[in-house]
Amino acid sequence: MFSRLKLFAMLSILLFNGNAFAQEELKIGGIGPLSGGGTAWGLAVQRGMQMAIDEATKAGGIKIGGKTYLPKMVMYDDQYTAAGGRTAADRLINADKVKFIIGPIGSPSVLSVITVSTPANVLVLSNGYAPNILKNDAKSPFNFRVMNSNVEFGPAMVKWYRQNYPQAKKVALIGPNDAVGQSVIPQLEAYYKANGFDVWKELYDRGSKEFTPLLTRMMAQNVDLFDLNSNAPGEAALMLKQARQAGFKGMIWQVGGPSVDEIIDIAGPLAEGFVSLNVFDFSNPQAKSFVDTYRAKWGDGVINAQTPGWYNGTKILFEAMRRAGNLDTVKVRDALEKLEGYDAGLFGPAVWGGMADYGVNHQLMMKFWIVEVKNGKLITRAALTPEKK
Amino acid sequence: MFSAPILGQAFVNGLSLSAIYVLVALGFTLLFGIMRVVNFAHGAFAMLGGYALFYAYGSFKVPYPIAVIGSSLLIATVSLILERLVFRWFYNKMFQSMIGLMGLNMAIVYTSVVIWDVNERSIPAAASGILQVAGMTLPTDRLVIIGIALTVLAAFWLFVTRTKSGLALRATAQDVEIAATQGIDTIFIYKLAFFVAIFMTALAGALYAQTYALSPFMGDRPLMVAFIVVILGGMGSIPGAALGGVLLGFSESFLSTFYGAAVSSFVSFGVVVALLVFRPWGLLGKPE
Repeated sequence: MFSRLKLFAMLSILLFNGNAFAQEELKIGGIGPLSGGGTAWGLAVQRGMQMAIDEATKAGGIKIGGKTYLPKMVMYDDQYTAAGGRTAADRLINADKVKFIIGPIGSPSVLSVITVSTPANVLVLSNGYAPNILKNDAKSPFNFRVMNSNVEFGPAMVKWYRQNYPQAKKVALIGPNDAVGQSVIPQLEAYYKANGFDVWKELYDRGSKEFTPLLTRMMAQNVDLFDLNSNAPGEAALMLKQARQAGFKGMIWQVGGPSVDEIIDIAGPLAEGFVSLNVFDFSNPQAKSFVDTYRAKWGDGVINAQTPGWYNGTKILFEAMRRAGNLDTVKVRDALEKLEGYDAGLFGPAVWGGMADYGVNHQLMMKFWIVEVKNGKLITRAALTPEKK
Repeated sequence: MFSAPILGQAFVNGLSLSAIYVLVALGFTLLFGIMRVVNFAHGAFAMLGGYALFYAYGSFKVPYPIAVIGSSLLIATVSLILERLVFRWFYNKMFQSMIGLMGLNMAIVYTSVVIWDVNERSIPAAASGILQVAGMTLPTDRLVIIGIALTVLAAFWLFVTRTKSGLALRATAQDVEIAATQGIDTIFIYKLAFFVAIFMTALAGALYAQTYALSPFMGDRPLMVAFIVVILGGMGSIPGAALGGVLLGFSESFLSTFYGAAVSSFVSFGVVVALLVFRPWGLLGKPE
């Protein structure tokens, strides 16, 4: 009897060990703000990634070169800061041995992460508006940007505004006093001036919640237009609310974000007439399946419009791995660069661009929308595509 | 730029900021003044006050005056458990209290993250109108905050100067041993001071969350403001907290309006540093 038990035990071990080798775990790192004013965006990274991972898992895993891998997310909070990004990257790369990272979203964090990831040959698919995320001496060998930045949507949006509101003369730009604001504000200033605007600008310490004195200062400049630009959803919403409470009557819009749903939630009726960049059109029939899957998992709360973008970026990464047939980051990187035309299902065929602006074609050129808040709901004013240069 | 309407608006903004800062600092300085405890969990209690108001006024639609007072009383009452389990071990132990209560702060904040997630929420405003007076704009919700701050300050002043318990509180703050020999139940007084301090903190947090936004991490800023105000005014001094709040609020308003945010931060923190060098006990505090 004992010899039969031993035989049974041995067979069981062989069986389970065999199954363990059939599907290996593939860790995918995630970095984003999961606390503070940028939390809505960090959750967009997390949930977008998770949806792509769940889809791959449901399909039985990702087949890469004869093996099947089950992706697993390992995500850390960077608190939207450079130090937070650096710590998260160190943990992912050195402790968790991750070779692929999705995120971060804020420029200070991305710029910090790539100082760790590039020497380690770790592939990073990020956001962040600072041009030197891609434009640097190393020519960004291992980082890609999978969302539009100011350089992609800024010129088209400002031109659209000038065409639709020819009477506007002066614009105010208030932004955070860090890598984001310090890179975005000069860019936007150049686009506005090229379209005949006068520009007034001011920076504040990130984390501030009280903007009324700065807004009083802004209103003394007799501006027609207030651009919330690169401000995180929490700060953008408070700025809009406090500007309206302070009596500002001009248009408020955001060439950046997007933060529309959070602004409607926090500013309420004061958000009426707010115009913004939006990075996804949820009314599109293609979006229904995505929205249904999201709601089934996370309920009826706000879906930040960046979520589909991160889902898209993660799916593109998985496809590049599959085509490379290998998890070597150089091979996956090469496959990513050749991925033009692949459609992950929400944004149409992938297009890489950015050579003229950054010296490398690692910028995903994505369709975007301009939306307006009317009676608490979003209406689409225009759909635009960045120019591939 | 230096026109009468702008100057007037800067004054109104300063008044509103000062009201928030005074409220935020009162509970913090009271705990230090009576029990010599540096409450690094101050922000966490403010945050809990915000969530209590969110449910009372935002979800259950309790009338606002009852919601704002009732929710703060609830937090203060429930916090007596923490007084017994945590705070009592740190009375008159300033340095140990800093570390211990920092840990308590993290425990409360991350428990809140688990319960409520990290998303920022908004609490409906108590009043949504905007008054225009002589070219100045006064949002009515800020007027409500100014009114509540003045009422709380007045009520607290009456309590400590006109009631027996208030007198006992002041005696205990001066010398706990002598107060005990005079028949004052110092354990009860400590509990009472704790209750009043947390009530004021929760109230400040509720109004802060209503003015800005509510999240488990919203307490960081009130804690920093409380520290600065209390250092300016003098640790343990209630009039000092009021003066510090007013100075910080008005300086931030005027400097930001006329010179920008960077100048405002530089001057505000520069003054605090200078004060710590030349008068470390603050404007109305007592040298140790």
